[in-house]
Amino acid sequence: MSTAGPPQGANGPPQGGGVAPVAASRTAPLLALDGVGKDYAKVESRGGQLRLVWDLLRGHGAAHVFRALDAVSFTLERGASLGIIGENGAGKSTLLKIVASVIPPTRGHVTVNGRVGALLELGSGFHPDYTGLANIELAAALLGLGPDEIAAKQDEIIAFADIGEHIHDPIKHYSSGMVVRLGFAVATALRPDILITDEVLAVGDESFQKKCVAWMEEYLHDGGTLLLCSHSMYHIQKLCRRALWLRDGRTERYGPAMDVTQAYLAFHEEKSARSREPIDATVAATAGVYAVQSLAIAPGEMLAQGDTLDVRGEVYSPDGRTPVVLIGIVRADGTPIYGVATDMEGIAPNRMAPDRFAFSFTLPGLALLPGKYVVRAHAMDPEGVRLFDHVERSFVVTGASREMGFVRLPHRWHDRS
Amino acid sequence: MASARRGVVPAPPARVRDRALFANFFRRELKTRYLGSITGLAWAFVHPLVLLAVYHFVFTTVFRTERFGSESFLAFVAVALWPWLAAQEGIQRGATSLGGYAGLIRKVAFPHELVVYASVSATLVLQLAGYLAVLVALVAYGEPLHLTGLLIALPLWVVLGIAVIGVTLFFAALQVFIRDVEHVLMPALMILMYLTPILYPLKLVPESMRSWVAVNPFSWLVGRLRDALLAGNLALEWGDAVALAVALAIFFAGRWVFRRLSPHFEDFV
Repeated sequence: MSTAGPPQGANGPPQGGGVAPVAASRTAPLLALDGVGKDYAKVESRGGQLRLVWDLLRGHGAAHVFRALDAVSFTLERGASLGIIGENGAGKSTLLKIVASVIPPTRGHVTVNGRVGALLELGSGFHPDYTGLANIELAAALLGLGPDEIAAKQDEIIAFADIGEHIHDPIKHYSSGMVVRLGFAVATALRPDILITDEVLAVGDESFQKKCVAWMEEYLHDGGTLLLCSHSMYHIQKLCRRALWLRDGRTERYGPAMDVTQAYLAFHEEKSARSREPIDATVAATAGVYAVQSLAIAPGEMLAQGDTLDVRGEVYSPDGRTPVVLIGIVRADGTPIYGVATDMEGIAPNRMAPDRFAFSFTLPGLALLPGKYVVRAHAMDPEGVRLFDHVERSFVVTGASREMGFVRLPHRWHDRS
Repeated sequence: MASARRGVVPAPPARVRDRALFANFFRRELKTRYLGSITGLAWAFVHPLVLLAVYHFVFTTVFRTERFGSESFLAFVAVALWPWLAAQEGIQRGATSLGGYAGLIRKVAFPHELVVYASVSATLVLQLAGYLAVLVALVAYGEPLHLTGLLIALPLWVVLGIAVIGVTLFFAALQVFIRDVEHVLMPALMILMYLTPILYPLKLVPESMRSWVAVNPFSWLVGRLRDALLAGNLALEWGDAVALAVALAIFFAGRWVFRRLSPHFEDFV
């Protein structure tokens, strides 16, 4: 496969890299990125723009750059689905723009086998002053369709978007959810070779999200190719077979979606755990906050289904009043399972010293199903209103159960045998 | 999978796509210019006629420009003023046209120059319509005009359009990076208008400065238009070929600059 050809179209000469459309073939991947990097020009001084324009005209790169993306490589086969994850500013949007040919890469090569014009980012390409209908026409024109061709698809788009009479209003009066609805509807009607979506699922309401996810699943089932950028690991795991984790513009990890998303979650857990160690008493005293001083779980970090879990610890009170302790159990991904506070059940932690209180809590016959969990202890003011700080300990429940969910609920089958 | 290709829209060649996109932008440009006004498209014809009436009043009643000799001042100005207004408005609007498409430029891959083409074409088409309306009105008024001169004048408009697009591509690309461009353009074009023999004949310019005024390509265009429409001279000249070559050179130079800078628009627009 050749990537040496100059980029076509009117977007200018190659700037060290380029997007090379290559004749479609059955075996070649639909999309291949090879060592792709992107530098953004930085204008630092007041006369900087003049200098920048002069540098660009001479064919030099900009003198001062910000490296947004570096050495990113992956391939996407027809029918594949790739999730892009990473923190804000990690380079996700830049990567998607390069794939969609909106910007040329500064380094490396992008090879697209097939229809470059069909690369589409959801909800984008809408002109704020155009009405919904006019934007449908514009989206069609961006794909090279005439107004008559899109007319055939128009009813389908309007039905999917389901925004009623607003279709005749300018887009600038739409809510962000409505824009995404329309964007998604256009994408569904035009069925691009590669669907590129950047955080679209985060905007729509619950029922529309479900509709979108259902549509994407069907699209993937029908052989569509998906590039999904999302902060929701749930959506990535549900829709993508592989995932790419970007960190500061570089590939941190690339592989099966489950592995990469778990590594990403673990990274964040670790990062936040560092801040969830007990606060030093002198620090708490200076800040005047209620703080969990210690937290321990027994029998340990590994326990079997049905074991008894003991949780005990100490809380600091800056004014000597008895604080409220809230204990919660959450899944490793943060899904809450159960939580209860001392004041809900008329319990008071035991005073050990004028400003120290101890608590002890037992969960007999642990009903949690096998998996990784976290127990959290929160310190609250005596009124049980303000949450000050929390400390957590993680534990793993082992077992070979094939039951689903988080918790075994008491149950009984009624069979006649 | 058999159903895999269901509903897939066949990919059109880039040229077909660009044409559809240009048509969409062009229609949009026409619409937005007259959408807000009550008179709508009629304004395109009313505006030039009103302007001409004002100039007529100022230059024949107030200033009394008898020194022009036997020529009718009204026809003399009208023939040259509209091409200038078209060029001026085309450059000014076109230079800032990319800003209106910022959302698109940031998110979608398409040739950015189509925006400039659409903006300038819309201006030129509307101004040309106004020009024709004025010429017809003047003939009906009894002014000595040779409408056969349009055989020369219309191709000259095409040459003008090519040059204006080239100039506009240059300034539009620059405007993305340097916001001062639009503020410099307005007075610069105003000065250039008065340095061009539009409201006065070249022969009134002092001998010593005449060659400086004549070197302005627009002076040539103005003279050529008057020659065709006022004198009815339909002969082609070598200068026509030179003008076309110069216009094409301006166009390609402007496009070169534009294409050099356009990959970086996304970050600055």
